[in-house]
Amino acid sequence: MIRQLFITLIICLLLATSCSTKIVSTNIYQEQKENLDNIERRYEKLNPSNHFSLAFTDKKFSIVSLEMITDTLTRIYEFNVNEQRLADTLLKYNYDSAGIYYLIRKMQQSKVTWINSFDYYVNDQPQQLIILSLKPVTIRYIFSPPKYVALAYFRTTQFFDEKGRLLDSRRTKQVRKIKGQVFYKITDRICYTITDKYR
Amino acid sequence: MRSIQPLSINRDFTFALLTVLSILIKQGSDICINKSNNFYLPYKPVILLILFLLSEEKGSAGNLLSEINSTKKEALDFIDRIDQSKENSLWPNIKPKLFYDNLILNLEKPTSFYPGRSTNFCAYGALSYLVMEKDPLGYVKFMNELYDKGEAVFNNNHFKPSSAVMKAAGSLKFKGVLDIRHAEQMWFLVLADKFKGYLNFFDKKFNEGDENSFWAATNLAKFDRMVNKMCGVHVKAVGSDLIKPWVKDPYSYLSKRIDSNIVSLYINNRIIHKKNHDKIKFSIPTHFIILRDISKQDNMVTLRYWDYGGETQVQVSPRTLKKIIFGIITIDK
Repeated sequence: MIRQLFITLIICLLLATSCSTKIVSTNIYQEQKENLDNIERRYEKLNPSNHFSLAFTDKKFSIVSLEMITDTLTRIYEFNVNEQRLADTLLKYNYDSAGIYYLIRKMQQSKVTWINSFDYYVNDQPQQLIILSLKPVTIRYIFSPPKYVALAYFRTTQFFDEKGRLLDSRRTKQVRKIKGQVFYKITDRICYTITDKYR
Repeated sequence: MRSIQPLSINRDFTFALLTVLSILIKQGSDICINKSNNFYLPYKPVILLILFLLSEEKGSAGNLLSEINSTKKEALDFIDRIDQSKENSLWPNIKPKLFYDNLILNLEKPTSFYPGRSTNFCAYGALSYLVMEKDPLGYVKFMNELYDKGEAVFNNNHFKPSSAVMKAAGSLKFKGVLDIRHAEQMWFLVLADKFKGYLNFFDKKFNEGDENSFWAATNLAKFDRMVNKMCGVHVKAVGSDLIKPWVKDPYSYLSKRIDSNIVSLYINNRIIHKKNHDKIKFSIPTHFIILRDISKQDNMVTLRYWDYGGETQVQVSPRTLKKIIFGIITIDK
């Protein structure tokens, strides 16, 4: 009896581990388009003066990891959103507190876990893109990895193949991977991927 | 009641170990050890574990060479005398201007070495920091000779990279500023091609994209060996790839050594740089850093370290500090 129970348990565990996490909605970007685009625009406006990134490190979106990035030093702090220390730190390093608090609220509402900007190079010239990750509603099995939707906002029109995969340039058929992930077309300058890490 | 046989305990243990390790390797890690797409057959983790157990973690490595020292000025004078426009078909994707501009940047600002986004080059980045501290002229001469002849010697270590590596140098893309730093691309690829540890056992030959895979990964013993061979300095290490060092108070241990030595740490970066919201995380080291400063106030430890082309400052509790450190490498200044 105990042996049968043990075998059943093992089979259940094996089945559970073989199932991957399912994202409930298949159209997350379109459902939240306005909010997400607004977050990206707001970040793009705030970021150039004082470069930073924001990440929510807990599931309740109450703990924020703030990275304040300069040419020589990156400061990483973790705060509860309601902590006075967050406001004090932003003030101390001359960040736009009101703007960042607004961004934090919007990110919480839309379940955006991380926002950052990346540099990349075309013909040896620097370009920038903004990546934000969303925590979608998922059906998750035991041991299956979490899933996040990452959106990449480019400033210029990008090129895609017939499967909608982001390409390196117009002239090549080489798929461009960002952080090891293939991205798929949403619009000419926005694409997405599904990943098990939010950053 | 049936008694539990030792054999079954053994099997359960092996099964649990296998599962844990295969999940661990499937999940990969973050900055430093990324998952390789063709690397999740269950026998591989076992072999890696055996290799880990067999690999002798030396406590210290002695001086190979007498003191090597040169100055930035000597290196800049040397580079001034070089024809910086020469192309070389041995390195088809290296652009001479980007290559020599990068060498000058390395000399002017040695902390600017950037191992690239999503690569496994962080250990080579930390090594570069040490090489530039010790022998900038040696670095520039080596890089110039390597570019000219396709092979060169650095502190009695002969480097002759494979043709795949020579083709890849200058072509790495989407790695941040590393994209346009052709000397650093060459340097990191050549180091990864030359030095091998047990993590590279299944992936010794470079293929496209291997800068992100186990081909470029570095374990603690390999790092110590690289530092010893390339810098010719005394290296003392505590810790290992899976078990944390037996240091009661890491803060005191580090603060005692940081003034008179260069201290490198092998850390689990996923704790201070979380990547997902899972609470249960496998505790493995993922990243090499150079510790620049450590201080303590109100029971919070402030770490200032060099890693990706600049310094990072982070505050952690003493408990977290103990949790993240897997290796402490003390190098003579």
